Amino acid sequence: MARATVEWDKRPDLPPTHYVHPAIYTDPAIFKEEQEKIFGKAWYLACHESELPEPNDYRTYQHPAGKNLLAVRGQDDKIRTFYNVCPHRGNTLVYAPAGNARHITCLFHAWAFDTKGDCIDITREKQGYGDRLTKKDTALREVKTEVGFGGFVYVNLDDSAGPLAEFIGHALDGMLKCLEAEPLEIFSYHRAVVSTNFKFWHDTNSEFYHDYMHYHNRQTSMLQPSYWEREYVPFPNGHAQVGDQIVKYEAYEGFAGRDLSFPGLPRNGWKMVDLFPGFTYNLRGSALRIDTILPLGPGRTIIEYRGLGLKSDGPAERAQRTRDYNTIWGPFGRNLHEDLMGVMGQGRAIGKGQTFILHGREEANKIHDEIGMRHYYAEWSRRIGRRSSDPYREPAA
Amino acid sequence: MTGAVDGRSSDTIARAVHALIYRGCLRLDQNDFKGWLDLCSQDFHYTVSTYSPEIRREQIWLDHDYEGMSNLIRMLPKHNSDQTPLTRHATVYTVDHDAGSHEARAVTSVAIFATELDGGETTLFALARYHDVVDVGGTEPRLKHRTVRLETRSLGIGKHWPL
Repeated sequence: MARATVEWDKRPDLPPTHYVHPAIYTDPAIFKEEQEKIFGKAWYLACHESELPEPNDYRTYQHPAGKNLLAVRGQDDKIRTFYNVCPHRGNTLVYAPAGNARHITCLFHAWAFDTKGDCIDITREKQGYGDRLTKKDTALREVKTEVGFGGFVYVNLDDSAGPLAEFIGHALDGMLKCLEAEPLEIFSYHRAVVSTNFKFWHDTNSEFYHDYMHYHNRQTSMLQPSYWEREYVPFPNGHAQVGDQIVKYEAYEGFAGRDLSFPGLPRNGWKMVDLFPGFTYNLRGSALRIDTILPLGPGRTIIEYRGLGLKSDGPAERAQRTRDYNTIWGPFGRNLHEDLMGVMGQGRAIGKGQTFILHGREEANKIHDEIGMRHYYAEWSRRIGRRSSDPYREPAA
Repeated sequence: MTGAVDGRSSDTIARAVHALIYRGCLRLDQNDFKGWLDLCSQDFHYTVSTYSPEIRREQIWLDHDYEGMSNLIRMLPKHNSDQTPLTRHATVYTVDHDAGSHEARAVTSVAIFATELDGGETTLFALARYHDVVDVGGTEPRLKHRTVRLETRSLGIGKHWPL
């Protein structure tokens, strides 16, 4: 029987961990708190080291906390990250998303910096400042940076943050032998700009119940008995690993099995790890896909997709990985478009009638269990100091 | 445009190539993907490519031969696809053909617009160029190779359809 207001607005008869309030996806104040308390404090994946392979290479990066950053490989081969802002008058330092520059020179007044962030030239320094301000008194703002877990460049805006390895913990242990057997290299990058909340994308990556929307996954995975044995394993700090599976690609008409794989990954294997506060390692068949999110506001999100293979790939292997990746996950891929339709639809509907969002499936942590989302929102609630099911209620003393 | 083939003048071949490209756009606009593929030769190859300044690499986002495109089109009804219609505004810039060759090459500028089903708002979906190789050796020209070279790289939720 359809619901009238009283029934519709009633809290679900589920534990409060098993549903969330829609305001966590729409409220600008909550979004601001997410930027400060979550993205401003957590490690986040910025790019891959192969995006700046040579000394003096740089790569700009929009951080989810709303900061514009610039990763630079120094002449000492170390990757550092800085705010992409000139300390003089606050102008953008680097405009191109990637490139190579021995010095970083602001186009506005030509202040120049080296790849360690030190100021090496203030134009007409003596005439303007005398001894009141010298090159030694200014520099770029450096951001805590580590490279790891497959050669990815991680940043943390919080100078007092603990090490990256402490934050990731053991969440990527099951994939590490595939990621670190030999150097990886990026071959694909694209963005989707979607009118939706960033958490909806991570929700989608954190549950597989939505596989019903994917014809490809129904054929190649859901019809395989091993699919139902995949189990979620939650890790501290809000991360969750999805159990491994062998994908039967040839079950999709016109497709063949993936001959290429990754070191340590069985042929047609699939490993996936969702990491707080919203990025995903997805290793399937011959390609590694990395999702990162750049929220522009509570209802607008950039999602970045990176495809990686092995640095040692020859042209034929690279072409094969590129085909495999884009057939499913590129902008014209069979799966990604469907996933994005899902979160676009949520973005359109959220706050326009839905009272609560259910995360309540319990299937012994198996593939259609929604523990991945519940685990994420437990960490979200802890960090932000609000209950995801009841965000406006005063926190317990 | 230079040369002729099988007694047809260069202008005749150019007109035939123009007509083929525009007819293809009409069929794609109508979502008549099977009809569009009928304009292609059996050795057809279709590629959507672009350059990513972010990673400083060439990108190939879709890459199929005739059979691959035929399969992609045949499987469309089984997938959940955004049904927002696309409309192409195309201008054939150049048609080049060497004397005696059975192939012509054409470059077409194309702007692809999306019109919302609910409300009818039209926005630009993508700017691109078609780089086509056309088989002009038969009685009717056939598209032999198309590279859709995208200028636009941010394609929203993407698309399941050929552009």
